[in-house]
Amino acid sequence: MQPFSRPTTPRDVNATDALAELGDRALAERVQLKGDEQAFRMLYRRHTPKLYQFALRVLGGNELDAEDVVQETWLRAVEGFREFRWEAALGTWLTGIALNLCRGLFRRHDRRWIAIREDLELVTAPRQEHEIIDLEAALTRLPPGYRTVVVLHDVEGFTHEQIAERLEISANTSKSQLSRGRRMLRSLLGPHESEQVRV
Amino acid sequence: MNDNDHDLTEQERAELASLPRERDTGQLLEERTVQALRHQQLLGTRFRPRWYRRTLLVAAGVAAAVAFFVSGLAVGQWLGTRTVTDSMAAANHQTAMQAAAAVQRAGSAYVLALTALAQVADTTDDRAVDQGREVALASLYAAVRELVLLAPDDPMAVTLRQELERLQQGGTADVTQVTNLVWF
Repeated sequence: MQPFSRPTTPRDVNATDALAELGDRALAERVQLKGDEQAFRMLYRRHTPKLYQFALRVLGGNELDAEDVVQETWLRAVEGFREFRWEAALGTWLTGIALNLCRGLFRRHDRRWIAIREDLELVTAPRQEHEIIDLEAALTRLPPGYRTVVVLHDVEGFTHEQIAERLEISANTSKSQLSRGRRMLRSLLGPHESEQVRV
Repeated sequence: MNDNDHDLTEQERAELASLPRERDTGQLLEERTVQALRHQQLLGTRFRPRWYRRTLLVAAGVAAAVAFFVSGLAVGQWLGTRTVTDSMAAANHQTAMQAAAAVQRAGSAYVLALTALAQVADTTDDRAVDQGREVALASLYAAVRELVLLAPDDPMAVTLRQELERLQQGGTADVTQVTNLVWF
């Protein structure tokens, strides 16, 4: 198969159309049972844009890390299709895998993921005076722990209980982190009051 | 801290809701991911279902275990056989040596006994001496028969037996010759 090849023959187009009509579970079964590459590509194109955006946001805009997370997420997903019970949506499951991989990267890079701890005093990257940043950029400046909770809760719509389960923290810690993250976010977006934002 | 202190405003909610939820990764990442899956034999022509790979692994494991067991058994048997063979050889060797020594001791005793008999032949009861001589000849004859069985190709043993048989059957043998042979 040529790299970057897309279906060009009528037969390929028909096959792709037929696959497009299949649900995630049917496609995943084709991948699991037959190693069907076209079925995988269909799943990939269906879910990866959201997965990539999520990973990119949690990782603070690091595209290379986000791409690695996406690839590794799919590898683990394909290996784990057999164990997946389909009680949740495939996208949710993929997001969970990606989140774990992001946490692994935080730990490996020592990016104070542990910011989850209440007693830590964190300092964000100083904002230049009169600098105007948008919400996306402000998110990237949050410490990884705060950013993850804000993204999961305010962007992705997870509940504190779901966040607590996925991050292996208590729901109260999740609430506390969200509150602090929002406050820091406001200080980053709002009138410039201080070079440092204390938590 | 009360979570409500930092509830989002409508504007903030709107801004968060306006954030893009998807982003295109480009074709490169898709191809890279497919290649990685192919490399792990999870996709494509080299794909093997997980159960197949697992079965293959189990079969290989069983085969290795059987081979290990059989080779262990063979080595054990070989070691055991070798030990038994060595032991038997050693025992046989010991027994042969013991038998040869017994022959040597018996031969010496036989000669010594006949010497003693010869020394008392003129002074004691002739009848007893004759009896001793007959026993000595019978023993000699029996010994020669065993000697021929032991070494059928030994000319000395064969000749002795032939002479003794001829003496028993015909009685014409020269006693002096027999005596010489005995003492030889």
